[in-house]
Amino acid sequence: MIKRFFSLFFVILLIFVFMPLVKDIKPLSELGVTSQKYAKDGAKELGAANLVTSVVVTYRGLDTLGEVTVLFITTAGIGFLLRKRSTGKNKKRKASEILKSGTSFLLPLIVLFGVYIFTHGHLTPGGGFQGGVVIASAIVLLLLSDINLHTDHNILNWLESLSGGFYIILGLLGLLLAGGFLDNRFLPLGKFGEIFSAGAIPIIYSLIGLKVGAELVGIISKLGREE
Amino acid sequence: MLIAGAIISLVGAIFLFLGALGVLRMPDLYNRMQAGTKATTLGSILFMLGLGLGYYNQICICKIILLLLFVIFTNPISSHALARAGHFFGIRLIKRSVLDALHDAEKESEL
Repeated sequence: MIKRFFSLFFVILLIFVFMPLVKDIKPLSELGVTSQKYAKDGAKELGAANLVTSVVVTYRGLDTLGEVTVLFITTAGIGFLLRKRSTGKNKKRKASEILKSGTSFLLPLIVLFGVYIFTHGHLTPGGGFQGGVVIASAIVLLLLSDINLHTDHNILNWLESLSGGFYIILGLLGLLLAGGFLDNRFLPLGKFGEIFSAGAIPIIYSLIGLKVGAELVGIISKLGREE
Repeated sequence: MLIAGAIISLVGAIFLFLGALGVLRMPDLYNRMQAGTKATTLGSILFMLGLGLGYYNQICICKIILLLLFVIFTNPISSHALARAGHFFGIRLIKRSVLDALHDAEKESEL
């Protein structure tokens, strides 16, 4: 009873706190200075049909590098902090036939879809992060259906480090050959709206996709592993 | 065409609603899961099919067929895996239920 009262009280308090924000909000009628520049010149300058991608990968590419770094540190932290002690008694049960045949049918399709998402990041909604997550989900399915499968951490680490390294190298190439760090225009922009266009954006997004996928698979396999 | 699509979508939405109702009303895990799987599979199939028919063009209908196939393949498999995991974790069926085929099959394989 008293718990109910408290939660009601807090809800009312929150309403009072946030009411002014809701009441005084004014919808913006025009874009800000930076957004206006992005919206007006983005497609012409960078040749990416998906404006969000041109902002994420090129204009604010440094922030994306930061996000990838945050994800990397998260992976390292999870590997360090979460270690399951082996109790020796939980024996794993084999996956059912339905799950196994379903996995063997669905796995290539899901991987294909993930690759599609991050190679078409400059054309359609989606990109490296989303594609990487889809690929990681395919690996989760594989881990669920085959209990004896162990991910090779060396390969994962190499994949992650290499894609991260090449990401930085591409950024530096942009700095040397074009306008600035992570500038995509050192490669030809190509025809607007085709898959080989928008300079280095598809390559950068594919690298991000590989890196995110490898990191998430690392997290998942660490969560399931016993030592 | 638009009206036919709208009617099919409506039927799909009704199935989705019934699925949600089943999750609330059914007595144990397995019954709930069954309601949540069968009704939502059929509901999403009808709903998306209605959308595809309502706004008919060829690319759209191809994409929707792909989506439907994906739903048809994944939805039953995922709930099968969940229900199986629940069974082996030790969640009991409600007392009124009369048949536990997986339990019987395990007994047989042990003998």
